[in-house]
Amino acid sequence: MTDIRVLLVDDEPDIRDVVDVSLGLDPEFNIRACASGADALVTAAEWSPAIILLDVMMPLMDGPTTLANLRKNPRTASIPVVFLTARTRTDEVAQYISLGAQGVLSKPFNPMTLAAAVRGYLPASAAPYAP
Amino acid sequence: MGAKVIKSILLIEDNPGDVRLLRAMFDEHGEHDTEMTSVDCMSAAEAHLVRHVVDIILLDPGLPDAQGLGAIRRAHAAAPRLPLVVLTSLDDEMVAEQALQEGAQDYLIKGQIEVRGILRALRYAAERKRLERLKDEFVSTVSHELRTPLTSITGSLGLLMGNAAGNLPPPMARLLAIAHSNSQRLVRLVNDILDIEKMEAGRVVFSFDRVEVRPLVAQAIEANRGYAEGYGVRVRFDDAHGAAADVRADPDRLLQVVTNLLSNAIKFSPANNEVMVAVEKSADTVRLTVRDHGPGIPVDFKPLIFEKFAQADAGAARQKGGTGLGLSIVKQIVDRLSGEVGFADAPGGGTIFHVELPCWDHVASLAIDRQAKPGAPRLLLCEDDLDTALTLREQLRQAGFATDFAYSAADALVRAVTTLYHAILVDIHLPDGDGVSLIVRLRALPQYHDTPIIVVSGDAGSGRDDPRATKLSVLDWLNKPVDFDRLVRLLAKPVGPEASRRPRILHVDEDNAVARALSEIGDVVTVNSIEDAQRALKTSDFDLAVLDVALAKGADPDLLPELRDSKGHVIPVVVFSANGANLASDTQVPAALVESHTSMDSLMATVRDRLASRTTNVFREVV
Repeated sequence: MTDIRVLLVDDEPDIRDVVDVSLGLDPEFNIRACASGADALVTAAEWSPAIILLDVMMPLMDGPTTLANLRKNPRTASIPVVFLTARTRTDEVAQYISLGAQGVLSKPFNPMTLAAAVRGYLPASAAPYAP
Repeated sequence: MGAKVIKSILLIEDNPGDVRLLRAMFDEHGEHDTEMTSVDCMSAAEAHLVRHVVDIILLDPGLPDAQGLGAIRRAHAAAPRLPLVVLTSLDDEMVAEQALQEGAQDYLIKGQIEVRGILRALRYAAERKRLERLKDEFVSTVSHELRTPLTSITGSLGLLMGNAAGNLPPPMARLLAIAHSNSQRLVRLVNDILDIEKMEAGRVVFSFDRVEVRPLVAQAIEANRGYAEGYGVRVRFDDAHGAAADVRADPDRLLQVVTNLLSNAIKFSPANNEVMVAVEKSADTVRLTVRDHGPGIPVDFKPLIFEKFAQADAGAARQKGGTGLGLSIVKQIVDRLSGEVGFADAPGGGTIFHVELPCWDHVASLAIDRQAKPGAPRLLLCEDDLDTALTLREQLRQAGFATDFAYSAADALVRAVTTLYHAILVDIHLPDGDGVSLIVRLRALPQYHDTPIIVVSGDAGSGRDDPRATKLSVLDWLNKPVDFDRLVRLLAKPVGPEASRRPRILHVDEDNAVARALSEIGDVVTVNSIEDAQRALKTSDFDLAVLDVALAKGADPDLLPELRDSKGHVIPVVVFSANGANLASDTQVPAALVESHTSMDSLMATVRDRLASRTTNVFREVV
């Protein structure tokens, strides 16, 4: 079975759990979760996920800063990043995209369709869909 | 107590007698360190508020340049965070109430209140304003904080409802459905509260674009299909494929307007009924109507319909899952879209809501100022808010300027190369980019290297802080509302007709080498045909036209003598041959032929020569 690695970064444990179950509905997703930006930088470099779901408002290192740091490391620079955030005004979304994010998914999200939405952001080679 | 001592009062009052009286009373009874400044009109007040720290505004709304509620609205817009007290001789309950709704903290009647009362009212007004601000900040923080747990709750319930944790026994499914739908209602409520709070604080940035209304309406209907089915209501949109109806709007926000009107109509329709949606285009506007067959709006509720948390029958509406904010949000958005929203009783029962928005073509046609005096110096205003742009154009027209609009950065660049502007006014926030980047690109065009550029923005400071800003020689950074006198002073100097400036050359040709050489001498606008040249001459003034004979010959011979500037003066034309063709035989260009390889130097020499003597009469020169 294909193994699509998804790294989730969110400081809220409950949201990590809900996202974990939601993404788990897709049997090909292999999910890991980090509670902070710093943690995400290490895990992303070691584990090489196919995609990263990143919260925006986190203490110490926020989402945009984490993204900038991911881009600086050659091992993580090309991993697609999608923000998962409650802050989705048009200008905010435009700002995330200009920072180099692949896309934005809004909170609260529909848990039954989250996995499909994440699949939509995967590079074609990483997501051979076999239901 | 965090109440602030009032140190400075701005009195906006045009009656000198009243000013003297109030001043005398304040000197006698006021706090020692309270300072009062008075101005006699609204534009002076706006200018003062830009430059000075003021604690409170005392306003008589009968001014030469602003009256009544309009004056209150302008004062409030100029300083939304300041307490505002109205002091007037108009003793009218209804006006007073509206004044408070427009943002005033108190409404005092002259002659009915003595000076101690005024001083006390000012102190209370300041305190009320402070509490109001605390409340707004609190609402904003709480709404944000609510979303985090809501994400977990709606997510968990959604997973259970989707049988992600196994099939549910029916009684459990029913209870979970209640919890799920109510958690979603809470999400909508929080979103609505945040929206309204942000809009009232003026913090929502609108991204204007050309929007086709019909597909957007179809999209909103599709998105609400499930919602409608829940109420057993069908939504009919007969002219989904009618003629194009384009408006100028922010597509996200317009979608929100349509969605709110639809969900409102669905919610109040009896089951097995229809909601009808229509889109009609007229010359200047597009009109969207949503008709329901509901109970209609009670007479005494009609004046309140667009207010926050307004619900005709609060109990019934709450049962239907409404927040009481939907129509209030619609009104706020439509106002910002320079449109109009209203409603009427539908024949045979029910209600028709309508929204009217300016057509794209109409807005586009407004971009060129066609009503300015001939010969008025022409400015380019890069601003995406139509109402703001129109107001500024009106003011600038009275000061003797013509003002064209660019609604986006891309728009601005296109206009800047087709018309040579005397000065450019730039907003920092544009729908397709920031103003500083636009200025960088304008400065890269040789003809705009030295043109005065002024930033006019609600957030001029953020532009000035941009590291690129120092190199762009921006003439000034003005905050909105604009200190208009200062703007006119800035514009008057460099763009006055007598000011020494680089010559402006209209180049009619397709040869880039000539354009480059000419740009060493002056500001160049290059066009490809005589017709385009005449168009350029309508909107800009030039000192000289340089014309390739190939284009001159191809053109209607009658056009050539008609190269006139916007004041009606014929401008001097230098005709040259790019390929050394014989000009002598041409009746219109009866002069010597120039060798190909020396043509550039001699052409430039002639151009310099003619420009040096440009004060002399009209001439025509052939090189």
